[in-house]
Amino acid sequence: MEYADLIRDFLDDAEGHLNVIDGVLLSMEKSGRDKQQINAALGALHTLKGNSGMMGFESLKGYIHHVEEIIKETGDGEIRLEEALEPLLESANVMRRVFRQIGEDPSARPDLAGETLALIRFSEGSRDTAGAAANDPATYLGARTDTIRVEFKRLDSLLDLVGELLIFKTRLNQIGSDIRQVVPQKSLTKELQNGLELMGKTIAGLQEGIMKARMLPVGHVFSKFHRMVRDLSKSQGKEVRLILSGEDTELDKTVIDELEEPLLHIIRNAIDHAMEMPGERLAAGKDRRASITLSAAQESSQIVIRVRDDGRGIDKEKVRRKAVEAGLLGSDDQVTGENIASLIFSAGFSTRDEVTELSGRGIGLDVVGRNIGRLNGQISVESIEGEGTTFTIRLPLSLAIIPALMAEAAGEVYAIPMSAVDESIRVREDDIHMINNREVIRFRERVMPVVRLGEFFGLQGRRGKKLYLVIVGRAEKFIALAVDRLRGRQEIVVKPLDDTFGKSEGIGGASILGDGRIVLIIDVLSFLRTTR
Amino acid sequence: MSDMHLPASGLAGDVLNTEEHRDFHLVTFALGEEYGVPIRQVREIVRVGGITMVPNSPSYMEGVINLRGRVLPVLNLRKRLKLSAVEPDRASRIIVAEVGEKVIGLLVDSVSHVIRVQAAAIESAPEEVLEVDTDYITGVAKLRDGLVILLDLERLLRREKIEVKDMNNEGGIYGEED
Repeated sequence: MEYADLIRDFLDDAEGHLNVIDGVLLSMEKSGRDKQQINAALGALHTLKGNSGMMGFESLKGYIHHVEEIIKETGDGEIRLEEALEPLLESANVMRRVFRQIGEDPSARPDLAGETLALIRFSEGSRDTAGAAANDPATYLGARTDTIRVEFKRLDSLLDLVGELLIFKTRLNQIGSDIRQVVPQKSLTKELQNGLELMGKTIAGLQEGIMKARMLPVGHVFSKFHRMVRDLSKSQGKEVRLILSGEDTELDKTVIDELEEPLLHIIRNAIDHAMEMPGERLAAGKDRRASITLSAAQESSQIVIRVRDDGRGIDKEKVRRKAVEAGLLGSDDQVTGENIASLIFSAGFSTRDEVTELSGRGIGLDVVGRNIGRLNGQISVESIEGEGTTFTIRLPLSLAIIPALMAEAAGEVYAIPMSAVDESIRVREDDIHMINNREVIRFRERVMPVVRLGEFFGLQGRRGKKLYLVIVGRAEKFIALAVDRLRGRQEIVVKPLDDTFGKSEGIGGASILGDGRIVLIIDVLSFLRTTR
Repeated sequence: MSDMHLPASGLAGDVLNTEEHRDFHLVTFALGEEYGVPIRQVREIVRVGGITMVPNSPSYMEGVINLRGRVLPVLNLRKRLKLSAVEPDRASRIIVAEVGEKVIGLLVDSVSHVIRVQAAAIESAPEEVLEVDTDYITGVAKLRDGLVILLDLERLLRREKIEVKDMNNEGGIYGEED
């Protein structure tokens, strides 16, 4: 094996270990000291130290040794975590820098004497205060913690149980009303009624409690991007800072997990393409440092997440050209504030052949559209050329239990997530018109396509004189889903559908009703996507 | 060490894995011919009812059922194996099978028995006499009163190859130079 190969392996390996260390530090920053995490970091450091020594980077090896010591002492409680975090995070930066240096010039032997000294000073200083504390035993009592760590799976199974309770409750209510019809004793049925109501309230309280326990601050994802923004912009010679706001906003953990990837793509895309070089920015009269603002806020029952950059803005003409090329837009159509989001988030929009080092790893904005859709969310874009772009993501508070509008089409009942429903109206068949061979409805100054739910799913149904239209969509695009009947609003427990044999277009999941029947949940986004 | 009764083809080894299964149990069911799956892959057998069709899914997806609060996908085994279609009737059953981490329902014409088979009775599939695609078959058990075709559920449930579209760089929506 060549030395160059060895170095490459060493660096690849090192990157992985550094990620482990970063992860441990960030997680302990959020949730406090954790023996297991400490051990993971120690394991990674130990390997790094060994490999560095083997490759002949003696100074680096010595430095890592001291990082190890600090983490060990933090684990033992000799150094307080709050104190240690800052220098430890910094040490990860130092190591990353050194690895990059080695990558650029494998013959370099970086000297880390200064950095090592700083570490030694830090650990001695901290131990001194630790020693002082030892004189006063009360210091060791510390504040009593009022949090515990619970495996998420346990919360998930609790929520499943609550879901079942909800199903039984609906069933009991039905039985209750049947009983009232046949039992003449008013006092008895009244008591039954009261009991059912009390139980309903308790279940609602239980549900809310468990939902709250599943929430995490969105800062959990947000803070992960600091490093990416720094590293990406640096490698491209750009100056970009990341500004966070509303990190305390809480979201269901499952939503948080799904959110990371779309945000990553948007931010990465912005750095790669929207952000100008410092010189260009200065010439345009902008601050030489570009900024990306990542914010979160709760607005009624939704969480709104915005990614705003002050870059060059979306070139509508370019989007138009690409969209026409990809057949998403007629050659005479214009790109407007209304349709731009659905265009750039379409699969098939990307037409570039060349692949840049950073964005070209088979990921794109259509993934963003898809992921947000899976979360029952909506995404819109505003952009001013030369000034910047804002992506706005709207998400339901929770994924597990959602309010839905129950609608009947061709004899089947479907659940339409309320988060996507604008309103529902009753119309006559005559109100539906044909334009270009497509059914449309004019409503509130808007003309929108009508999609018959039953027909979309290939079901046979009779057409009556009247029908209901459920207007669904996001800011810039609406369609009217035609159904035969509405059956009111209901809280439903979302269960995923097995996708071993592919995902069914138009269906986002399933839920079980009080009578045990399964209803399918409509995936509004895929309707919007397929209706152009 | 006792002598092994594995067939020359070695095919039965896929089903048996270890010699302790030298005698093993099969749940057999009818799809025109007799088929069988190892009992360890069968969780339970339920009557057919309350199947909700899932639109825009492959034709062999019969739909989903509510199995005690769990949404269970049901595969029409006849259609999956490309056998002639038969309408479900009162004898039809859903075999709830567990393969790896997957739990899935298999719609069959009827469930016959649980039988005990000796490894020695298992042979490789004689391609020319079977209606079904031998890709999904681990072997054939020769019994006194006929053949039982052993299905390879793992292969049957394996995700069909989904073509991943080549996604290029999204980049150029901003006003930068191309």
